[in-house]
Amino acid sequence: MRILLVEDDSLVSDAISRGLVGSGYVVDAVPDAESVAARLSDSHYDLAIVDLGLPGEDGLSLVKRLRHSGSSLPLLIVTARDGLDDRINALDLGADDYLVKPFALPELAARCRALIRRATAAAANEIVIGRLRIDLAGRRALNEKGEVLELTRREWSILECLAHHSGRVVSKERLTQAITGWSEDISGNAIEVHVSRLRSKLGTSATVRGIRGLGYRLEDG
Amino acid sequence: MAERQRGISVHRRLLSYLLAPLILLLVIGVAVDHHVIVSPIHSAFDHSLSRSALAIVARIHPGAGGVPEVALPQHPPPPLRAMSDEHFVYRVSLPDGHTVAGTADLPLAPDSQSDDGFSYTNITYRSETYRLASYRTSETGDPLVVTVAETPARRDRAVHRLDVAFLINDTLQMAAVFIIALVGIRIALRPLQRLSQQMARRPAQALNRLSTEQVPAEVLPLVESLNDLLGRTRNSVLSQQHFMANAAHQLRTPLTGIKAQLEVLARETFGTPLEDRIALLHGGVDRLAHTANQLLTLARAEPSAHRDSHFALIELPKLIGEVADGSLDRAIAHGIDLGAEAESVQVSGIYWLLHELLGNLIDNAIRHTPAGGNITIRCGTEDRHPYLEVDDSGSGIPAEERARVRERFYRGAGSKTDGCGLGLAIVDEVARVHNARLSIHDGSTGKGTRMRIDFPAIKA
Repeated sequence: MRILLVEDDSLVSDAISRGLVGSGYVVDAVPDAESVAARLSDSHYDLAIVDLGLPGEDGLSLVKRLRHSGSSLPLLIVTARDGLDDRINALDLGADDYLVKPFALPELAARCRALIRRATAAAANEIVIGRLRIDLAGRRALNEKGEVLELTRREWSILECLAHHSGRVVSKERLTQAITGWSEDISGNAIEVHVSRLRSKLGTSATVRGIRGLGYRLEDG
Repeated sequence: MAERQRGISVHRRLLSYLLAPLILLLVIGVAVDHHVIVSPIHSAFDHSLSRSALAIVARIHPGAGGVPEVALPQHPPPPLRAMSDEHFVYRVSLPDGHTVAGTADLPLAPDSQSDDGFSYTNITYRSETYRLASYRTSETGDPLVVTVAETPARRDRAVHRLDVAFLINDTLQMAAVFIIALVGIRIALRPLQRLSQQMARRPAQALNRLSTEQVPAEVLPLVESLNDLLGRTRNSVLSQQHFMANAAHQLRTPLTGIKAQLEVLARETFGTPLEDRIALLHGGVDRLAHTANQLLTLARAEPSAHRDSHFALIELPKLIGEVADGSLDRAIAHGIDLGAEAESVQVSGIYWLLHELLGNLIDNAIRHTPAGGNITIRCGTEDRHPYLEVDDSGSGIPAEERARVRERFYRGAGSKTDGCGLGLAIVDEVARVHNARLSIHDGSTGKGTRMRIDFPAIKA
């Protein structure tokens, strides 16, 4: 996996490179937006980490330019600005995620992993959580032994919705919307019943954690 | 600030400037009335005194030997009767001074040569003041002088009564003028009152311009210079914001570098004697980064930095969902059950500030709650006031410390955690921006703390 790092501060750039190399990535670091085009034409990258506060052309403009040129390269923004507007702006312009400085390296590595996984899964139409493989095209889920889980239509909808937001809490209302059609109406208790059945079918391959009053979260094993 | 201490009231000043001349005018008015009425009253009473003299003349008969005789009855007719508190004396004398009848020692009024033969004067007789009238006549044949005198009690009483009547009348008029002035001033000052209400309704930190509509011309310069001042203050706040944003950037980038370098070093020195020292360094940099972040948030939360246009309607349950999502991993790592009881409710607020507020409250709760404890985030409406609260089963805050925990950098006596003491200061500041109030209660489970934010009532 190859990562392009666009960061002007050498202290930060050096540390991120070392950290990500330690996690098994190949990292190419450039200090400004102008050098990005040459790198992208030379080699294939799985992810770019872009600092917003670059000298010359800034990060936002780079994100905009990349997306305009049709690139689908996953983009992770790191920024020292904490204005929410900047972040929303970056996401609107086509960035995939953002991190506010100062962050911890493991956090950065986790975000990179998630973004790359998401991009690969989208390509393969598949989501992998822990030892659970969710085949979105085939509408089926496979456990650690490669067995296809027998899920009802509603259990599948719940799992699909949770998988799309894996690692994040999904509210009961949202799950309800995911499993009901126009004419159907379903109570919160019914969701609990479906989730508990889904839980037992998942076994040890992945966990659905119930969060009191907030909803459910799909977690690794 | 001593808001209650009132300066000079324009209202009161106008009234006092009006009241003094009005009282002076009242005194002058009564005095003028008195002078105007006194001489007609006196001439009326003098006229009645002259009737008494004529009544006596009517009873004079030419007597034997050329000396006239006066025959006054035992009970004199009405003009000659004296009231109980007044004295009446008379004297009939010849031009040579010989007294024919009456009191011989009564002086005469000097002849004023008037057409009707009457002369008047004031005298002191037997140590009493008298009004005296002498009538020089030849009606009965020989020239005679008939002198009558009375004490002025009756005329004094009449003047006094009229004076009182004038005083009452003038006072009533003045009071009416005063009340009309009072109402007039109140109406005239109404635009000023509206202006002060407009000021009072503004949030304490508002820096937007005051409306100049319906402001009277006299007050307009004041409003305009206020607007000028507000504008300059807003500019300085904005430039401070700009400075803060730059400072944030300049601080965060090297902190990120140092932190990341230490993390790489920690990995590289794993198992060597350097490991512990790098862990210590890392902890220090983490604290520094946290403090820098909190300081920047606090500076950016500064109430005057926010305009009305920054406010939007915010769904509290959605906010809770998002903030809780971000804190969930920390809570799970600490073995804490983090949950929510959210009723649908909206507040007008600034999203990122409320995000910081709730984040800090949850962060505090996680710091002070032992493993196995629980934290519940609630929102809802009570008496039309939206509220947001974080209820933990942790160590709690002693009642005597509750007032102090909002102070910047204050850390509780038993504080073992690595917080920088800015969390609740931020919460307090953000609450102020939203005209909301932070209060600290006992946890609902009997232990721990319940931090509650009460927002202003929802407008119907």
